Amino acid sequence: MRSPNPLHLLTVLAGLLALSAIPPAAMAAVPRGTAAPAAAGSASSGLGSRTLPSPIDATNTCASCHGMLTDDRLRTPSREFLHSAHRDERIGCVGCHKGDPRDPTVSAHAPSTGFVPHPTHTEIPQLCGGCHNDAAFVRRFDSRLPVGQATLFNLSLHGKLTAAGDGPAPDCSTCHGKHDIQSPSSPLSPVNRANVATLCSGCHADKQRMSKYDIRIDQFDKWQKSVHGEAFLAGNAGAPTCTGCHGAHASNPPDASSVARACRRCHEDEMQLFEQSPHSQGFRKRGLGQCVVCHGSHDVPRASALMVGVGPDAVCTKCHSHDEKPRQVASDISVLLRGASERAAEARSAVARATAAGLRVAGAAYALDQVATTEMRVRDVVHTLDPARVQALVADIDRSVAETLTLVSNAEHARRAERRGYYVALALAALLLVTLTLKALQLDRRRRQAGP
Amino acid sequence: MSTGDWLADRLGWTRVEAYLAKRSVPRHGFMFYVGGITLFLFLVQVASGVLLTLYYQPDAAQAHGSVERIVGEISYGDLVRAVHVWAGDLFVASLMLHMFIVMARRSFRAPQELTWLSGIALLALGVGEAFTGAVLPWSERACMDARVGSELALYVPLVGAWLRRLMRGGEDVTSNTLAHAFGFHVAALPAALTFVVAVHLFARSRNRAGSAGATDVPTIPLYPDFFVRLAVALTGVMVLVLTLAIFVERPIGPPADPRLSSALGLPPWYFLPMHAIVRAVPGELLGIDGPRFLVSAACVIGLAVVALPFIDRRGSRLTAWLAWIALLALILVSVRAIT
Repeated sequence: MRSPNPLHLLTVLAGLLALSAIPPAAMAAVPRGTAAPAAAGSASSGLGSRTLPSPIDATNTCASCHGMLTDDRLRTPSREFLHSAHRDERIGCVGCHKGDPRDPTVSAHAPSTGFVPHPTHTEIPQLCGGCHNDAAFVRRFDSRLPVGQATLFNLSLHGKLTAAGDGPAPDCSTCHGKHDIQSPSSPLSPVNRANVATLCSGCHADKQRMSKYDIRIDQFDKWQKSVHGEAFLAGNAGAPTCTGCHGAHASNPPDASSVARACRRCHEDEMQLFEQSPHSQGFRKRGLGQCVVCHGSHDVPRASALMVGVGPDAVCTKCHSHDEKPRQVASDISVLLRGASERAAEARSAVARATAAGLRVAGAAYALDQVATTEMRVRDVVHTLDPARVQALVADIDRSVAETLTLVSNAEHARRAERRGYYVALALAALLLVTLTLKALQLDRRRRQAGP
Repeated sequence: MSTGDWLADRLGWTRVEAYLAKRSVPRHGFMFYVGGITLFLFLVQVASGVLLTLYYQPDAAQAHGSVERIVGEISYGDLVRAVHVWAGDLFVASLMLHMFIVMARRSFRAPQELTWLSGIALLALGVGEAFTGAVLPWSERACMDARVGSELALYVPLVGAWLRRLMRGGEDVTSNTLAHAFGFHVAALPAALTFVVAVHLFARSRNRAGSAGATDVPTIPLYPDFFVRLAVALTGVMVLVLTLAIFVERPIGPPADPRLSSALGLPPWYFLPMHAIVRAVPGELLGIDGPRFLVSAACVIGLAVVALPFIDRRGSRLTAWLAWIALLALILVSVRAIT
């Protein structure tokens, strides 16, 4: 016969002891200086009195029992909970599952305690929202913690599908986890900025899961290869991941009317200049989504001078296959851009060559900075599709390039002249050496002739 | 009257010429000129060093950049720096060679004790100049040399801790180390060198009468014969320095980054024998920490060298042989360390 586990016995005893020792008032204790007991008590629909015994309190018997159960299914949650942000804030199992954590027996799970063994897919947003939509409650823990995520979620397409009982649609726990929910600022959290793209692609790149919605599954692949994804994966903290454009809880698929707004969050300059272009009105009339027409959405490539023009890589010909005037404008701008970028590259390589030769060209770094800044500005101004404005800036680039090249060539010229001077000095010294040696030999000879 | 005659008359040149013609010096080989060459190199260092201070900035944040600027931007800066670097190495080399030659010729004997003592002081000061000078570019290598050099100084008996603090300007290698190196390199050590050079020359000329083997060697007139020979030697050195400075690059190296500890490279060449021996000996010798034992041994040998005129009063042939053997051994060990 198996002897009773002494640990079980001990736990039960400890629980009883603690129960007898703690006065009833203390058992209903809420954190001091928070919501009035009356208000807390009235929230009967949500979390009971929100008297939330911590899993580390002796009064919480959930963790102590479940931690020792042999059935993995029942034990794992209590183990996982050790890593939960909720545990750190002393919100125990009862917060979500209700029941009576002070009861060390199986009657803790009695229906009269409101015990919820498995919150359902459709219940979860409400369950989480019970606390996370309550500013007064959330503020107890961190006054900067956002609230209202559940409300936002209900407005999102994800939320609507979930509310309608759609199985594959996500609820809160799909992204945030269940018992081991971590703060989004933790690198271990699946919703941490660094992990978001992997999280979203877990569903959105899954062909089977997406089949019933008739949407694409290549966004993650495209994003990884895009200028945004490349920058993000290279550690650029400013580069956007999925949530950068789509938002998080309230995410709805952007359409032609809103996509430019998403881009504008970062690309304000380009947007303003674009609005001065003939495209702005034209796209709007045709219901086209502004930026994405030329740049694409998830697969935004690194913008280059090659994008403009009538060549094979140019995006202009996608629409303007025959129109004479737009093709001319594209071609004009293309010629200007390519010329500028070639000349800028020439200036950069000249400075690199001088630096490699040990020269420090005063002012060259500044002139190159000017080139780079103006190149950036030109890329913005291209959005106006005004060749005259592009040309004005290209002229600025050319001036800075010319200045750089002059500085480098002056320095190189001076260095060559100096080197020539060194050779002359060395030759003169060598000549002096030869002359003096000859003189010394002559003196020796004379002395030998004179003396015995 | 030609201009030359006029000038000679006003300067009383004929009398000077007559005086010089009467003086004669023993006719020696090249070895005799090494002392003069050393002095010449010292003067080259003073001249090129003064030029470098015009643009060098002794500040940890700017030192490396200012040396890069001297080399890359300032007119003739690359030549002046290269001359300073090469002539500095040659200065230390000729100081050492000079010492070994004097030892081998047994010229340290009475009455030249003072010349010998001041000469050893010059060698110490010269090595100090080379060491502090190498720190000034504040490159990765310079920082490492400063750290290792001052760490070894800790092992000098009695004054080790004080010496390390003096070299580092504190307990650790910091920007204070650079400030200290600069102060020593351009002010304290050159001033001391100038004074000791004066003592050295005075002691040498004052006690010339008794110097060894002065009687049986054929003599040559001081002027023009000796002057021309000296000029040949000095011009030869100048050609050598210029050739090295123009054609053999001495890179500055990447700037020091105190957050990184770079791999231990080779020390400056004059520390190569020490480096090779430190690497070869076990961690502990006779119950004493290996490097401490070696530095202490080096100090004892150093003291013996200082006291040489009093230990070997008459200058035995053994000392001469020891000098050549020691020089050869040091060269061999150094070469071994490089390869």
